[in-house]
Amino acid sequence: MSNSIPEIEDCPFLLCVGTNMTECHPIIAVRVKKALRKGARLFTIDPREIPLAKMAEGHVQLRIGTDTYLFNAMAKVIIDEGLVDQEFLDTRTEGFEELKAHVQKFTLSEAEKITGVPAELIRETAVGYASAERAGIYYTLGVTEHICGVGNVQSLCNLALLTGNLGKRAAGINPLRGQNNIQGAGDVGALPNSYPGFQSVDVPEVQAKFEKAWGVPMDPDKGITKLKALDWAVEGTLKGMWICGENTLVSDPDVHHTRHALESLDFLIVQDMFLTDTAKMADVVLPASAFTEVDGFFTNSDRRVQRLRPAAPSPGEAKPDWWIIAEIAKKIGTTVNFDYSKAEEVFDELCDLSPIYHGLSYARIDKGTLHWPVPTKDHPGTPVLHIGEFPRGLGKLQCVEYQPPAEVPDDEYPWFLTTGRRLATYHTNTMTGRAKGLSVLAPNEWLELHPMDAEELGLKSKEWVKVTSRRGDVLTRVKVTKASPPGTMFMSFAFPEETPTNYITNPEADPITETPELKVAAIRVEKAEAPDLSDFDPMFQTKKRH
Amino acid sequence: MVRSSALSILGRKSTSPDRVPPVVLFAVLNRRARGLNGKEVSMPQTDLHDVNASEIIDRWEGEPAPFLSILHEIQAHYGYLPEPALHEVSSRLGIPLAELYGTVTFYHFFELEEPGTNPDLWMCESSACCLKDLTTLERQLSSARLDTPHSGRVRRIPCPGRCDIAVPVFVGDRVYASADSGSANDLPLATSALPANIGVEECIFADIRKGIDTLAGYRAVGGYSTLETAAKDPQKILDELKVSGLTGRGGAGFPTGVKWDAVRKETKQPKYIVCNADEGEPGCFKDRCVMDNAPHQMIEGMVLAALVTGAEIGIVYLRFEYPETLASLQKAIDDAVGAGYLGENILGTGHHFKLVIRRGAGAYICGEETSLLNSLEGSHPFPRDKPPFPTTHGLFGRPTVINNVETFATAAMIIRKGGAWFAGLGLGENQGTRVFSVSGDIARPGNYELPIGTPLSTLLNQHAGGAPNGRTIQGVTMAGISGGFVGAADLDVPLDSKSLAALGGMLGAGGIIVHDDTRCMVSAARASMNFLAHESCGKCFPCRIGTTRSTEILDEMRTHAGGGPAVTRDAVSELADLDEVMAEASACGLGLAAPFVTRTLMKYWPDQVEAHLRGECPTGACERSKA
Amino acid sequence: MIRPPMMTIDGVEMTFTPGDTVLEVSKRVGSKVPHLCWDERLDPAGSCRLCIVEVEGRRNPAASCTLPAEEGMIVVTETEKLRRMQVTLLQMVLSENPAEISSRNVDVGKTELQLLAEDFGVTRNRFLGAVSNRSKDDANPLLKRDYDHCIACYRCVRICAEVEADFAITMTGRGFGKEIATPFDRGLLESTCTLCGQCVYTCPTGALADHKMVGQAAKGAPAEKQTITRSICPYCGTGCSIDLHSDGEKVLGVTPALDGPVNEGALCIKGQFGFDFVNSDDRLKKPMIRKDGTLVEVEWAEAIEYTADKLRSIRDEHGPKAFYSIASGRAPGEGGYMLQKFQRAVMGSNFIDNCSRA
Repeated sequence: MSNSIPEIEDCPFLLCVGTNMTECHPIIAVRVKKALRKGARLFTIDPREIPLAKMAEGHVQLRIGTDTYLFNAMAKVIIDEGLVDQEFLDTRTEGFEELKAHVQKFTLSEAEKITGVPAELIRETAVGYASAERAGIYYTLGVTEHICGVGNVQSLCNLALLTGNLGKRAAGINPLRGQNNIQGAGDVGALPNSYPGFQSVDVPEVQAKFEKAWGVPMDPDKGITKLKALDWAVEGTLKGMWICGENTLVSDPDVHHTRHALESLDFLIVQDMFLTDTAKMADVVLPASAFTEVDGFFTNSDRRVQRLRPAAPSPGEAKPDWWIIAEIAKKIGTTVNFDYSKAEEVFDELCDLSPIYHGLSYARIDKGTLHWPVPTKDHPGTPVLHIGEFPRGLGKLQCVEYQPPAEVPDDEYPWFLTTGRRLATYHTNTMTGRAKGLSVLAPNEWLELHPMDAEELGLKSKEWVKVTSRRGDVLTRVKVTKASPPGTMFMSFAFPEETPTNYITNPEADPITETPELKVAAIRVEKAEAPDLSDFDPMFQTKKRH
Repeated sequence: MVRSSALSILGRKSTSPDRVPPVVLFAVLNRRARGLNGKEVSMPQTDLHDVNASEIIDRWEGEPAPFLSILHEIQAHYGYLPEPALHEVSSRLGIPLAELYGTVTFYHFFELEEPGTNPDLWMCESSACCLKDLTTLERQLSSARLDTPHSGRVRRIPCPGRCDIAVPVFVGDRVYASADSGSANDLPLATSALPANIGVEECIFADIRKGIDTLAGYRAVGGYSTLETAAKDPQKILDELKVSGLTGRGGAGFPTGVKWDAVRKETKQPKYIVCNADEGEPGCFKDRCVMDNAPHQMIEGMVLAALVTGAEIGIVYLRFEYPETLASLQKAIDDAVGAGYLGENILGTGHHFKLVIRRGAGAYICGEETSLLNSLEGSHPFPRDKPPFPTTHGLFGRPTVINNVETFATAAMIIRKGGAWFAGLGLGENQGTRVFSVSGDIARPGNYELPIGTPLSTLLNQHAGGAPNGRTIQGVTMAGISGGFVGAADLDVPLDSKSLAALGGMLGAGGIIVHDDTRCMVSAARASMNFLAHESCGKCFPCRIGTTRSTEILDEMRTHAGGGPAVTRDAVSELADLDEVMAEASACGLGLAAPFVTRTLMKYWPDQVEAHLRGECPTGACERSKA
Repeated sequence: MIRPPMMTIDGVEMTFTPGDTVLEVSKRVGSKVPHLCWDERLDPAGSCRLCIVEVEGRRNPAASCTLPAEEGMIVVTETEKLRRMQVTLLQMVLSENPAEISSRNVDVGKTELQLLAEDFGVTRNRFLGAVSNRSKDDANPLLKRDYDHCIACYRCVRICAEVEADFAITMTGRGFGKEIATPFDRGLLESTCTLCGQCVYTCPTGALADHKMVGQAAKGAPAEKQTITRSICPYCGTGCSIDLHSDGEKVLGVTPALDGPVNEGALCIKGQFGFDFVNSDDRLKKPMIRKDGTLVEVEWAEAIEYTADKLRSIRDEHGPKAFYSIASGRAPGEGGYMLQKFQRAVMGSNFIDNCSRA
């Protein structure tokens, strides 16, 4: 996020794009509600009529996957109606003339045809956003989990650049991260292209810095992404894999492909708290401590580095992740230092090597008040990014072409399927499924579809269906709801044992980030017999764990 | 229909009254009642729709403050408020279902159960009526032959403003006047009696016996003649009001001219003129008399306020218990519209004023002006914190003049005859006249308009004929009941606010219930306190708990005096402490006034209190009531 | 220069920002004004009237929570009369419930009402009469509703509306008969409740409780024996602060952290009730190695040695690009740092990623 979460309540115009915030980020939604009580305007953009849309002044219910078209059309409105921040454009950006020429073809009438959103609502949203004194964009995976995810983000960022809504308080462009420490995982360098602190691996000076720090030569080449690694495993070039705290088999698209990839490995290590479906495939399973049992840190969506402290001992012999890795490294035999007596030493080394964490220590993050970058020990942190300058200097307005989803409905697979989370289930339910009582809100998976579609298919709520895509099929119940627009259905992937949704999602990915298009697949839906659920644990509402 | 209400759950945040409340947050473009955090209301409640409710709501589209009217129409259609209909109201009006449900349960007369289960015979049990033999009446009523069918099931209701014909009996919209004993068969329909002519110069009642209940009759005495002046020279209206010394007749006594002037100076639009016709105080029935017999005079007063302040919408908040008034007042409004005194472009002045009636649903607290505003908005009818005041943040957060019926009617006459004339009508330092409703043990119950400062004894003995059957007056209630009592020793007190306050009571809205020397005053105090406990809104602790505990203590005393167990607590000390917190720390007038009842009981009849604590009721009433 | 507005509280001159309430200013002075219906997250309601103060020039004391601070205002928060009324009010409040002993007190800690009663030396011995409200059976597994202890401060209703905007509960009826209810009194699961638990932890009495904490005292972990550890919610990327209650062996429950910089006390169902997966019986307790096709538990030494051998041979036989590491986006950051250091410095490639792409 370019701006901090508490700033949201002072933002007078909120544009929430592809983010089912009240369910997926309920406490960020609390800030949005506070902003509304202070008189803010809220516009939502989402194919579904999500709960947040009911609080919005305008809900832009676009056809799924038409985001770029919509954002380009909005950019054209902002430019045509003279609502750009000229001073900001002149001093902080480049590429305006190109963009201006580029968006000419994205007329409101065309946009209405492509996106299915009334032209006047698109205009109203664009004008509202551009006219506000400050305006914030908040988005989640609804924007990024597309084959054109990068293009979506770029065309969305154009809006902020055109209107000067970056580098100031209570505005900005704010991706809400879906996992507690997903920001931190990138920050610490668990990325194929960068060391800790987003220092590129292919820059010789940076390589030299790490060679000096660790005392061994660094690979000068960027690594490959996880998705590509799975392909390499299938091809046989990749022999081994170490998966820490991820139920890859269930959370990645196209389970058949993932299973094949993991089966192809010679050696698979899974380090986790539970014997997940992925762990069951492993050669070595290493028991990890939970967040309640260790010292450590999480870095949240707004780049706030916060402390964890042990509240209870680990069960059995489960150990902190860092300890396990260090022990194995030492056992392999290396000149690199892996002698740490406590987590704090690991953190200190990270801070030493990462410019954005350089001023941090356990003492300084004690109250969770610092947002990175924190370059020095007396730096107050950076709740608002991009004040005065962007990392690359000028902000580049990008000319992005519209690209339809990789898979669109046809005669054989006539419906869109989109996926996401629900309030009471998180991810693959390994955690929420084991938390007692949460299942009352979401006891099982269901396919949400519009009453018109239900009528066409002859379906009623709670009936069972088989949902088939080009990659496979799953069984689930049906829930008829107007939250789903006609033609587009919705599922989560929280009940992999009963309904492994990712058997049917599409692994086609954005070519740059390699994030798969989990938000769009074409499906067929048929009535089905209820499966035998006698083996299901009523507590977890999933298969009994033996 | 999107609500523009500006309320939080328990009233407005006093520090920043303009902030948008959660209710509005919910209402913005809200189309269905559903949780905001993703979970849909579970199956039986999802997508509950009600076609009839939907049509009713359609009809009210664009009308000011339609909430209560919509609910009344739905109830009229079904006989109660069915759940799907409330879902429809919730989604269409943007009121969260939970809040709507809570609000509906607040009122006496909204029903959530199907008809057939609810009693349809309603009989008053409040302070004036409980002087009658209600037990016998109730028994007789259940098999009474009336000219309308009924179930025989009797429900006792709080004061419906018919103390002059005690005990009133309601069957639907029909109101019967019952005797306190004898057969309840063939009860006569109640009429709204004209006040007796007592030969004192009156202000609002000056023409009331001249047939001014019709438009023609009202015009014949010079009615509506002030509007053109008001349109041309609103300042003159304010000047006259200020000279007249007119203060609000609802009890709070705020100078009317100052209030109108404050709203005139506000720039926010729309502005509202609200007439408080929720005359819920037991012992008060004067506003009903004015509306029934001089409706145009009240309307003229409201139009004056509109012309002065620039308000274009007026609302009469009429209490539910005045069904006949609803019909007659609506006719008066229609006639006034027809004659150009209301509606578009009043008398060609370019001013517009739309006047509508909204019917309450049975809640004493809605006579408190900010509760009334919340009630109109469809919010929980708790009183709001003040400041801000309605003059700046009234109905829907807009500048609002809110006065009661008598005040508006008086204002009209003041403008016709001059502020100085009115000011000269008072006795001594006092300016003007007031109307008093007298009931209970009195020869001629009714409404009396008298110069402010007239001794109470003059009203009671000279005008109202004193206690009947040769009895003497032991004491009277004041303000209705919430002003406590005035005992025999002080009956010469001048009827003005200052004198009554000096006695430890309150003049309030001018209701007086007379108790003769056969009455048990502990029981009388209990009746008053019980009413207040029953009507406490529940917002603030002192009133919510205090009125109930005070009632319980008085009950214990009565029980003991009726032969029951002794009072083990230190009743006098507990009452005194309850009195203190209620009088000093309550959030609104109801709680602040409640201790007048117990304090004046202690002041005038300490002997009766002591006797009860000893287990004796001097009048024997407590023993009888036990039987 | 414009002088900021000033007022005097208990003899101390204070500046304030227009819009501040007297209660807010008095807290800055350090005056101990009692209250039960006030919660800093909520609009002041003026219900309990315990926060009454004397204001010079006003006949009656005023509830300071709803009283806007004004220039030149002179306020006194402690007088004999105020204290007498506060005692009476507390006695009245205590009188309306059977007894202020609830599971909340023993399992989580003393309630606000208990603490105030102790502070004022008040017990339940006056004004005894009818008790208000009544308990409601509620089928939900997380929130206990024990309205015998309700004092009708409406904090639960207000937090549900004002903070969560869920509008699941309401207040029904009038006066002493006021109750907290869902629409048509059906229970939380049939309402718009999202089971976030905010109502539990704003409740100043034991009327609402967290089922996960109920009974801890009976199980040998009363409130005074629990340790409280500040932590961060392990779910979405918001980063809400939580306080973990522990008996030294297990995490018992979570209470919201009012001073949490992100959430300021707010939590959702996952943050409030989703912690106990850490106590799940099926947590992995020992390393496991696949032997003859089956995963069998082994000692750490064996697991480390076995794994190290395997990794060494993959690296030495197939090169640094034959091995891939995936760090968790949910585990603490030290592990991620360590894994990328391992992959880069020991295995020799940038073949590292995290789970952000799915």
